[in-house]
Amino acid sequence: MGQMINSARTIEPQSRFPMNQQRAFSLYHTHIKLLGFDLNSLTQSSSSSSSDAVSFSRRGFAVSCAEIVGVVVSRDLKPNRFLRFSVDDGTGCVSCILWLNHLTSPYFASRHQPDVRIIGNMATHFAAQIRVGIVARVRGKVSSYRGVVQITVSDVVVENDPNAEILHWLDCMSEGSF
Amino acid sequence: MASAAIKSGALVSLKDLKPSSEFFKDGASLRVTGKLVEYSVETAIAIIVDGNVSLKIDTQHLRELTFRIGSIYQFIGELLVQSENEATLQARVGRNVDGIDLNLYHQSLQLLKQFQADHLNKRTN
Repeated sequence: MGQMINSARTIEPQSRFPMNQQRAFSLYHTHIKLLGFDLNSLTQSSSSSSSDAVSFSRRGFAVSCAEIVGVVVSRDLKPNRFLRFSVDDGTGCVSCILWLNHLTSPYFASRHQPDVRIIGNMATHFAAQIRVGIVARVRGKVSSYRGVVQITVSDVVVENDPNAEILHWLDCMSEGSF
Repeated sequence: MASAAIKSGALVSLKDLKPSSEFFKDGASLRVTGKLVEYSVETAIAIIVDGNVSLKIDTQHLRELTFRIGSIYQFIGELLVQSENEATLQARVGRNVDGIDLNLYHQSLQLLKQFQADHLNKRTN
């Protein structure tokens, strides 16, 4: 079973990307540190009307997950549904969606319920931490809503170090050549 | 979406916020950093300085922030230009950043501006 999973993982990116992109497929499931302006200008390609079919690329390389750091400048909570918030890193404002409907959404119905409860509890915990004015490190899947790039949040870390944003800029710039 | 309408606060050093600067425009969304030297509870006006340049900050919307003279603060908001040489930042977000390495901040800011400009040039070429 383990071998089947491993082989599926190695085959997937090779079949998904053309030959000239395969040297970067190892980054496909990595949370790539990106600046707001860079994330907002990812190229979107869609092969069908399903939102899951939208893929994103940066300078020809596929990007699926991202990490941003910035100041939370807006917060819109729909209890038990979602928290939508914006993160401003000084180069761009990134829209983030944190789903809070794990216990009611049919999307999670077929999944292992104890795991779903843990994920739901974590999401609720993250939502409570997100306040306007804090600096947050946000990781998640790159997605889009009405054509605008956003992050579907998987985890949030509140940064108390006042230099965290600066160090993130430097990380982004050093990774920026990929 | 409400979030789509929010403009990013452009990172700017106070010394670069001259009347001739591209940032010195009414309504410009900016992020500024400086040491708090004055704060009035009555008017909610704060004054921050960086080097020998100061800027007035209208903090009336920042209810949860406490102000301590001598601490370093960062504000995001919109610039209200009152005259040729005078402007106030109407802050919508503020935070205390005591402990920030201002030298690293200013140097990294220069690199970041260059990085951003290079990327925009590559995209347009």
